[in-house]
Amino acid sequence: MKVKLLLRNPQDYLRETADDIHKLARNPAPELHPMSAETEYVRALNAAKLERVFAKPFLGCFGDQGDQLSRVCMHPRALSLCLSGCVDGRVAFWNIPRRSRVLQLDAHSGCVQGLCWHPEQDLFYSCCDTDRTLKAWRVGDDLVEFSRPVSQRHLDFAPLNLDHHVSKDLFALSGDAVYLYDSRRSDPVGQWKWGSDSVLQARFNPTEWHLLAAVTKDNALLLIDTRQREPLRRIRCEFRQNALCWNPQEPFVLATASDDYNLYSWDARRLASPACVYRGHTNAAMDVDFAPTGRELVSASYDCTVRLWESGRSQSRDVYHTKRMYRVFAARYSLDARFIVTASADFNLRLWKARASEKLGALTPRERAAVNTAEALKQKYAHHPQVRRIVQHRHLPKRLYQAQLEMKAIRGKQRRKEVNRREHRGEDKEPFVPERDRHVRGVDE
Amino acid sequence: TMDVAAEDSDQMPSGFHAKAAAKAARLRREAAKLASAAALESPGGIESRPGEWAPTQSKLLRRVAVAARPGHFELSLQYGPYSVAYDTTGRLLALCGRGGHVAAFEWRQKRLMFESQVNEPCHALTWVGAGSTPQLAVAHSNWTYIYDAQGLELHCLKRLHKANKLFWLPRHWLLAACTDTGHLHWQDVSTGQTVASYCGHHGPLRVSALHPDSGCVLTGQPNGQLCIWTPLEKRPVVKILCCPAGVRAVATAPAGHAVYTLGGDSRLRVWDIRCLRPLSVSDNGADAASIRLFDAAPQLAVSQRGLLACPVRQGAALMVLPAGGAKPLLSHPSPGRLSDLAFCPWEDVLAFGHARGLGSVLVPGSGEPNPDGAVHPLSGKRQRREAEVRGLLDKLPPETIAPPAVGGGVNAVDAEGIEEALARKRAAVMALPSDEVRQFQPRRRSGKASGELNRKVGERWQRRRMELRQLLKSKKRVLAEMGDEGADAAGGRKTKKAKKISQSGELTKPATGTFLDRLIPKAD
Repeated sequence: MKVKLLLRNPQDYLRETADDIHKLARNPAPELHPMSAETEYVRALNAAKLERVFAKPFLGCFGDQGDQLSRVCMHPRALSLCLSGCVDGRVAFWNIPRRSRVLQLDAHSGCVQGLCWHPEQDLFYSCCDTDRTLKAWRVGDDLVEFSRPVSQRHLDFAPLNLDHHVSKDLFALSGDAVYLYDSRRSDPVGQWKWGSDSVLQARFNPTEWHLLAAVTKDNALLLIDTRQREPLRRIRCEFRQNALCWNPQEPFVLATASDDYNLYSWDARRLASPACVYRGHTNAAMDVDFAPTGRELVSASYDCTVRLWESGRSQSRDVYHTKRMYRVFAARYSLDARFIVTASADFNLRLWKARASEKLGALTPRERAAVNTAEALKQKYAHHPQVRRIVQHRHLPKRLYQAQLEMKAIRGKQRRKEVNRREHRGEDKEPFVPERDRHVRGVDE
Repeated sequence: TMDVAAEDSDQMPSGFHAKAAAKAARLRREAAKLASAAALESPGGIESRPGEWAPTQSKLLRRVAVAARPGHFELSLQYGPYSVAYDTTGRLLALCGRGGHVAAFEWRQKRLMFESQVNEPCHALTWVGAGSTPQLAVAHSNWTYIYDAQGLELHCLKRLHKANKLFWLPRHWLLAACTDTGHLHWQDVSTGQTVASYCGHHGPLRVSALHPDSGCVLTGQPNGQLCIWTPLEKRPVVKILCCPAGVRAVATAPAGHAVYTLGGDSRLRVWDIRCLRPLSVSDNGADAASIRLFDAAPQLAVSQRGLLACPVRQGAALMVLPAGGAKPLLSHPSPGRLSDLAFCPWEDVLAFGHARGLGSVLVPGSGEPNPDGAVHPLSGKRQRREAEVRGLLDKLPPETIAPPAVGGGVNAVDAEGIEEALARKRAAVMALPSDEVRQFQPRRRSGKASGELNRKVGERWQRRRMELRQLLKSKKRVLAEMGDEGADAAGGRKTKKAKKISQSGELTKPATGTFLDRLIPKAD
């Protein structure tokens, strides 16, 4: 008779020294793991709840600027620096991690309408519409060497915005038209205009060096090739587009922030309708910025909120608001796509996390693994009603919540009316128009 | 998830389901292969020559290493028939006697944790909590008490009145109890909340077992029924007739889908709890529906590897049967009449309580050799503590306790919800306001303040008329979508699809073989 008894050697189960990690026995046999789907679901639910527990995106306020802020401009190469422009003509230079003001300049006598950095040199430009000047300031060792500008240019139009080319020594000023200036020449190198209304903002495409996009006051979006005399296309929208931003990773994608509370992303190859309509704000969207990854957007709105979006998804991923934050006029991503700087009408710049529940600071490998697991679990059970309701829910102050309900009611009423009309008149007379096709009046060539 | 044998694949509703089941089976086989490849230990067993008798304990002890000796011991105690319970790690053994003796000790080192005389008959016990802070729940004659590792009484659960069996659900942190009064209780030990406490109205529940994989309580009734209970339903969720006579004992394996029932006809039957059908057992090499256990007392215990232990000769000896077999693996005489049996998890050891104390015997091949995680006898204190915290975080809600036969589960499609929604839609469509209702005019009143009243009633009826009109419109629309010819007759517009279907001469969509077939309008 052969007898074998199960006997374990304790040495196989104990760690060798106190510096070792504990040994963990593993047996993947499914008989030892009943209810694994339920356990996973509970873990996904806990992951969703913990994400909400740790969602504290507000990092701090940069200190009172003293007057309403009009522009924010991030440094193109340094992570920790940014500029802000004020309506009383002051330009401030901020250290983002310390949230302290390094320097303040009395740049202009009126509202600072444009701010941009030179991509390579330690130089930034500012322009103002009241004194009609464009000034260049040199910065070295995070201090302005002279409190006077390096150069100053008087313009014969009132500039409304300013953008610098990603590599060439060109910059685009928007005023009554789009003017292309070379830094070495006094006269504009190019000028584009369509219609009689002023151009609010013009921006260079970071990849296609000859391409410019501009938004005008008469609700139009212009596409300009600097090698041509006339703009390429004009898209007539229903409402005014307040700001625009090119996708840094996808050369043909741009996003605009509109007065009709939406953001639109456009494919420059097919401008007949926007590629995506981002709905969520309850008042005009004032500014839009793409993350450096090209996958996310941030929008600043007149309804005192900042919303974050995933590119291509029309519902916002997150919404930031504070009791003290009033109308938000500018929002910018930091270069590492982890932080957002907003400028609002309550005279403050604020710093936020792009991922509200992200832990700032080094993650140990176990922490990273736990974070990744939690993320994967939430995605796996994202459709599940209990998990979805926790992941989607965001607290809104009462008036914002009421505004949201109002928008919902208005939309519902419009839809119902359309359905009734279609039933009454017939589908041929009242065809179904998809959301994307409702916002463009026409495209002109 | 269901284990589907190859021959069951033709019973799948569709090719999609067959493929999914085949994939699941393949993944399960691969996991088993991985598990066996990575295995540290191999299971025990006895290889005997044909004609050889089942070995005695002395024979086994001569053939195994000295390290196995702690598994074989006898305790002569005086306080009545004893019940025994191992904790989930297999490190601790507790006993309680009808004479009031309650004790707990680490059986390997024979280190006594506590021993006390509670001066009350104790009927059942179970370890609760995780291995780091072990607590013992003991069912006294009236109420249930919870003792800690030092024997201090922590809680007195008055709601668990006259419990005769206690169960611990580790994944849900629930203490379940069946009582002589016919009540069932589920108590959350981590929050102290009573999840469910009700009378089953099926008589005193004296024969019960826990199905650990799903957390359901199985009870055997004197009329031969086996009932499956969950905390959310006050009635048995499933009832099957498993014995021609009354059910004398029920037992489940610590993992898996087998349920063993011992009937009044002394026959042992094995059931598959997933499909509620009998599994065949081998009786002397031949497949049989049941095994005849002569003079068996009604206690059964099943080990992790499917070995079954039962008392024979009216409790004078215990017998261990191999998984699904009738020829005993080994037997052992008991000094007193056997009252309880418990296999040690993760070890080849069986503890038995009898009228004169308790004992422990070696049973080669009963324990699962390779545990997963920190729940095994050799896990350290720190690992047990961490496992406890993880167990609390992963605590499952009581809604997940459901018998596998009933289906559902967190990843199941909510077919009933979809069906209900469709049924509601159809009902809304079919419940048309009758003509009389539509043409009704409210009675005009006269007298003081009647003008205001008439106006209000008129407005209310106007609104109701609009609602009825909407209802009629939506009914027409839905009928048109469903391709019903009645839509045309009722004057509703036909959608393009409906027109196509009616033009092709087909009134109904082809049957898909799913529950949606019930809603296809029948061609009259």
